[in-house]
Amino acid sequence: MKRREFGLMTSALALATALPFRSAAAAEDFKASSGQPIYFRGWQFATDVVQSNVKRYNDTQAGKVDYATVTGDYPAIMEQNLMAGSELDVLYANPSSAVRYYGGGWVMPAEELPNIEEIKADFLPQFLDAWSYDGKLLGLSYFASCRGCIHTNLLAYEKAGFSDKDFPKNWDELYEQVYALHDKGIETPILPHWFGEYFGISWGFVFEVLNRGNQIADPRTHKPLLTTEASGAAYKTLAAWKKLWNSKLVPEEVMTYSEAAYIDAYASGRYVFSPQQIYDLQVFNKVGRSQIAGHSTILPVGDHPWGIIDSALYLMTKRDRPDAVTQDVKKFTSWYGYKDDTGKVAIAERWVQENMLFSAYKSVMDDEKTAERVRKAVARPDDYKTVLDVYKATPFPAGIWKVVWSEEFNAYLKDTLANFLTQDGDIVATITAMNDKITELNEKYGI
Amino acid sequence: MASEPGLVRPAAPLDRQARTRRTRELSDGHFALLIGLPVIAFLIAVVGYPLIYSIWMSLHKIVFFGGYRATFAGLDNYASVLHDEQFWWSTWVTIRFTIESVLLTMVLGLLIALLLNRRLMLGGLIRTLIFLPWCVSLYGAGLMFAYLARSQTGLGTAILGLLGIDATTDFLSGSSIIEVLAIGNAWTMAPLVAMFILANLKTIPTRLYDLAAIDRLSAFETFRYVTLPPIRFSLFVFTSITTVLSMKLFDFIFVLSGGGPGTASATLTYQVYKRSFKELNLGLGSAMSFYLLFLIIGSTLLLFLLWGRKEKPL
Repeated sequence: MKRREFGLMTSALALATALPFRSAAAAEDFKASSGQPIYFRGWQFATDVVQSNVKRYNDTQAGKVDYATVTGDYPAIMEQNLMAGSELDVLYANPSSAVRYYGGGWVMPAEELPNIEEIKADFLPQFLDAWSYDGKLLGLSYFASCRGCIHTNLLAYEKAGFSDKDFPKNWDELYEQVYALHDKGIETPILPHWFGEYFGISWGFVFEVLNRGNQIADPRTHKPLLTTEASGAAYKTLAAWKKLWNSKLVPEEVMTYSEAAYIDAYASGRYVFSPQQIYDLQVFNKVGRSQIAGHSTILPVGDHPWGIIDSALYLMTKRDRPDAVTQDVKKFTSWYGYKDDTGKVAIAERWVQENMLFSAYKSVMDDEKTAERVRKAVARPDDYKTVLDVYKATPFPAGIWKVVWSEEFNAYLKDTLANFLTQDGDIVATITAMNDKITELNEKYGI
Repeated sequence: MASEPGLVRPAAPLDRQARTRRTRELSDGHFALLIGLPVIAFLIAVVGYPLIYSIWMSLHKIVFFGGYRATFAGLDNYASVLHDEQFWWSTWVTIRFTIESVLLTMVLGLLIALLLNRRLMLGGLIRTLIFLPWCVSLYGAGLMFAYLARSQTGLGTAILGLLGIDATTDFLSGSSIIEVLAIGNAWTMAPLVAMFILANLKTIPTRLYDLAAIDRLSAFETFRYVTLPPIRFSLFVFTSITTVLSMKLFDFIFVLSGGGPGTASATLTYQVYKRSFKELNLGLGSAMSFYLLFLIIGSTLLLFLLWGRKEKPL
């Protein structure tokens, strides 16, 4: 037998034996066996979709997953639950929270899943890096998106005499155009990312500084990196914000908006530019939901990327429970967070179709059905490419998000930035105070 | 029948029993204590333990990362609170919010009570409807007032629109957020105050109003000399209660403004929450909560000294 024939024959034999074995194992592997409930908690988003996904698992895999949502200050509430060892097995978390929970010793990394190598091989590299800490992948993909890309109301933009070729290429040009639009009679040309959620004004500052080319803290040592020179990214950002605030072009109430109110405000059509979630393009272009349906686009990548990676993971807790329950937790997490018993990444695919939530998995993002879904959500055919380009270029603030004090700094940043605007704060003093806070937090946690 | 000897004879032992019962009868104070004992025991269990634990926490530095650790810190946390600018700002915000809330609640409650004390068509239905805001959860009320005050969906913008003015109103700003919160807080508390004052008003004999009419007292004089005296004690009690409730209010503020814009509506309860649960500094948060407790006790004591000790329940 020739070497080539022998190779083909053994490959065929291996394939023939592996396939039925694999499908049988897949069908069996996810079946819950402890008879105990698994407590699954998340924030309030498309709860009907989650409920039906969980029901499918419970129905097909004899699961007893108890799903409920948590209202209010999600990261803080979950942290209290984790510390208290409450009935909590699987939860949503942003990467920064995940790092903190892992640092606190309250969650187990996804590395403990039996099929982790397969899962990691399917990860887009930027998310594998963003969601790994101490060399370990912390959780599975819920969504992977871009927050802070600049949504643009083409109706108002074109009415003011501008077109695509005038699109701003960086933050400085964007602010210049805001005043130009105002001069042309548009009362509120921009709705800045200053809303009252924990991912509002603080993240708005973070992505603008990152987009302008600076880090807030060193990704490796976490030492502060903000500079007080007038040419520095932080200084330019705060100076632009102060000018915008003093111009009275932005209603002060934006600082008390929830995310829903922030989305509603932009969907009203009163604003031209607004940094928003990339997946909300489908909201802004939806007839009956938005006043600018069919006329909302995002700015293409220019001199720099726009926004930051906004993503969430499914985490598994490490609370005290019998081993059999822990095995069920892993089975459910794997089924829900990656491939189900049919071998499809079904939950992630459904999120794309229902809400245009992008995934960290290559198999989902490279799927033609995903491309088709995005094409349906955009106002113009060319916008599809723009969406993908913006999404791919999005940076991740590792210096302040891959560290255990992330949420504490975020809470500090939220108050500091809002007070900076409302109390006419000094730019240099504010930047210095931010750096001091990072140093203080590093000392607090011995970093 | 009454003269039958068999029925009269037991009278002597009954007298003896009655005398014995009288000697064993509890005084009012003892009786009150007896029926209050289960409540006192319950309070010790549900209030006493957390209170003592809070005192313990306020005297320690507590760390959760890398395993739970608590080290004795003496009065350091209390001293740190006094050096915290945000604490003093929040104290001022709390006082301002409380004064506005209490004034609005009491005036609104009194007006509702006076209105409901009149003969009204469908009086029962109206009373029920007016009482409903008290039944609404503070979370729900917070969401509702956020919608009402916001320019996008708010009442002000709607009214301007009806008047043909294409403009928006921005009530959720730093300069007016406390007033929005106080109005919302009064909306939830005033019905309860109104119901209790109404109950009080119902005890005033109508002949007093007849006499006032004979004496040709004006409406204001009738209110001052006939209506007000019997309800003054209730007004004092509810001023104290609404003061305490306003000072410790959290969920309504959290939902409506999240302490913002900036820290414009960050009351002491919000600050305690932030220190304890956002920064995980439970020692400092506990110490701050005791300052809040002192403020509440101090305020009610001041109310009593200035007003309450002059009043007597009818």
